[in-house]
Amino acid sequence: MSIDKFKDKFKEEASDNINDLENALLELEKNTTNKDLIERVFRAMHSLKGGGAMFGFTALSEFTHNLETLYDKVRNGLKVIDRKILDITFEAADHMKSLLADELMTNNEIKTKHKQLAANIESLISDDTQTDVIPKSGSSSESSIKTYYIYFEPNPDIFANGTNPLYLIDELNSLGNCKVFAHFNKIPPIDEIDINKCYTYWEILLATSTDENSIADVFIFVEDQCKLEIDEVADNDITIHADFIHAITRLAIEKKDVGIVEIKNLIKKLKLNANVALAELNEPEKRIESSKVKETTISSIRVSSIKLDQMMNLVSELVTTQARLTLFAEKTNNTELNAIVENMQKLSRQIRDNAFDIVLIPIETMLIRFQRLVRDLSQELKKNVVFEAIGAETELDKTIIETLTDPILHILRNCLDHGIELPEVRKKLGKPEQGKIILKSFYSGTNVHIQIIDDGAGIDPEKIRKKAIQKGIISENDELSDTEIFDLVFMPGFSTAENVTDVSGRGVGMDVVKRNINELRGDVVVDSEINKGTTLTIRLPLTLSIIDGLLVRIDNDLYVIPLSVVNKIHVVDHDSISSKFNNLIVLDGVQYSFFVLRNELGYKSEPPKTERLILVSYETGLVGLVVDEVFGENQAVLKSLGKLYKNQALISGATILGDGTVALVLDTNKMIKKFSKNSEIIN
Amino acid sequence: MMKNDSLIKINSYLSFKLGDDEFAAHVGKVLNILELVKITPVPKSPEYMKGVINLRGAVLPIIDTRMKFGMSPTQFTQNTCIVVMEILMEKDTIQLGALVDSVLSVVEIEDDQIQPPPSLGSKYKSEFILGVAKVEEKFIMILDMDKVFSSDELILVMDSTEDL
Repeated sequence: MSIDKFKDKFKEEASDNINDLENALLELEKNTTNKDLIERVFRAMHSLKGGGAMFGFTALSEFTHNLETLYDKVRNGLKVIDRKILDITFEAADHMKSLLADELMTNNEIKTKHKQLAANIESLISDDTQTDVIPKSGSSSESSIKTYYIYFEPNPDIFANGTNPLYLIDELNSLGNCKVFAHFNKIPPIDEIDINKCYTYWEILLATSTDENSIADVFIFVEDQCKLEIDEVADNDITIHADFIHAITRLAIEKKDVGIVEIKNLIKKLKLNANVALAELNEPEKRIESSKVKETTISSIRVSSIKLDQMMNLVSELVTTQARLTLFAEKTNNTELNAIVENMQKLSRQIRDNAFDIVLIPIETMLIRFQRLVRDLSQELKKNVVFEAIGAETELDKTIIETLTDPILHILRNCLDHGIELPEVRKKLGKPEQGKIILKSFYSGTNVHIQIIDDGAGIDPEKIRKKAIQKGIISENDELSDTEIFDLVFMPGFSTAENVTDVSGRGVGMDVVKRNINELRGDVVVDSEINKGTTLTIRLPLTLSIIDGLLVRIDNDLYVIPLSVVNKIHVVDHDSISSKFNNLIVLDGVQYSFFVLRNELGYKSEPPKTERLILVSYETGLVGLVVDEVFGENQAVLKSLGKLYKNQALISGATILGDGTVALVLDTNKMIKKFSKNSEIIN
Repeated sequence: MMKNDSLIKINSYLSFKLGDDEFAAHVGKVLNILELVKITPVPKSPEYMKGVINLRGAVLPIIDTRMKFGMSPTQFTQNTCIVVMEILMEKDTIQLGALVDSVLSVVEIEDDQIQPPPSLGSKYKSEFILGVAKVEEKFIMILDMDKVFSSDELILVMDSTEDL
């Protein structure tokens, strides 16, 4: 029982490791000599091997061992990364995934694959034809020594815990060459000194071959009792440079503390750091990126998603209960109670925002799969394609990300298969031979937009029109705008590909893509220009579970309209709307089409004399929705209407109001689409 | 499946009235009995789906059982109740509230008291009825709740005298 639990844990960790491995490989492919990346690949393999052996995944462990041997050779400069090695490692990474799922290789296919891959790797290891590799300049042992800057300021009462900071500094000294600068400027005048307190702090330069983590380990027991900074400042031992130490010592005496900036400046000035300085100049972005990765691994913890879901449910209930409490407190007119409730409300709002923030994860997490797909598929299709992600730090609800991965994979497959042309064709058209697919994400109000942009062949609207007529989806006489024509792509059973290929073009897919995205309360539109490329824009809500809404009344029922679409509210006379022909009204000099919701939703009671017209944004611009009354803003915790109402298209969910009744949340986009179709039939 | 086995061993049924007829549902299916509260209608949905209510923070769909049985819509009286039930629908268990004219009592019916539904002469389709039992000189129809609520059909036999 318990060993199974550990095994599950290992599987989880292992798939993280494989992910990291893939990620590092993709980077390595762009920069095959980067030592850090090779090290990362090696590390991921090493933990896979170790963990695998420990938890009985023998096949995985042995398999990884061979790979590790291969990369050990790379690390030691006996081999260079080439296409062959990369390909096999990618394949191996995939195979590791299947090994995780089927450790005993019960599936024969996996078994054959295993043998074949293992043999290939072995032959690569023993293949020494490649040894004419130029060894890197500078001996490898020297280059692995790095210099770190450590700022260590213990809390004054650190002695109370029986810690002697000097022992820690001794320990640092044992790790490598160490230059210590003690600062005494915080020591108070002698009559104020408390002999039980520590007033000294230190700046230390340590040149060592161990990594940052092992340095941090020295301080592991005093972590929360001191201010600690550890930064890599140079990629070699700079403590041996007399000028440098001299300059630093002078600074340390003159100033209170030297500081990392000053040290880095000095290093730059004295040009002690050839490699790092160059790297910093050449690829400043990459530096930042890798340091960011480091930070997240140290400062984050792993929480099971079930726990998160539970928390989200509880927070939703808290928000609902809070609304009830607020309503009740207002009625009592008890100022003391009201003050407390107001405070509670503030707190629960903060808790809510925090909780929602926790379940947001960056789009980045999907990227590895996309990059893999583009890489593998473009090779298979003999196309030259580069994949670029812009705004990958954009965050979305984790459930949205989970549901979104497959649709985007499908879209990418389409881009690669139909969008990007073969290099020869591109050349003829005067385009660069290398095609480009960009995944661009950004926030827009309470929505997130994800665009998949390719610079391929584009979609010919005329072709789609013909196809749609041929399939009987539209008739010869239908006049459609380009947008409407592009929208046909999402119809079930629609495919314009002339040849059905292995990859896409069977007409399944795009309708499923649209459906999946609709289920997330999002939508998707296509825009395309022939020979310029296609842009697919997916619009999604930030979170699934809560929205800011406008509470409105129709007859005796309350509805919520998402505030994100509300533009303006007008007061209108019932008589003035009912006399309007063709559902068009002029407000502030602009003409809008509008729908009276009480009619559209089938209410039969007498409408009030004055009504409210809410202008909401819709695909084609602003559209008016007429309701009886507007109550104001409302925080709606969205609940599903359940399976029985699964055919209900106008309502995106329900929310529970402060008084315990249920209000329905309107999906204005779908509603307007449906209503306008209805009125077309009438006309 | 374990759960079902233990359910079957209990021979308690909740009896309720729709019009003049008495029906019963196994207590294992019944979660709760609620007084009538304001039901929020869901526009553009079938007429027998009355809308939704708030059941302790969850949204519960309400079904007009009378209409499902081909009777006139439920008239709301003091006796009208919402019986919250757990229904197996296409492999998923869902909760719903069934409107009934009144809830009568919990009755013990032994398995051997239950007779197969009469195939002829009944107003209701026999596939929705598990059996008929005679309790205190009255006939109670024991319903297969899963079938009643997961079917889109009306329970009434189509060629019955009632006007549809």
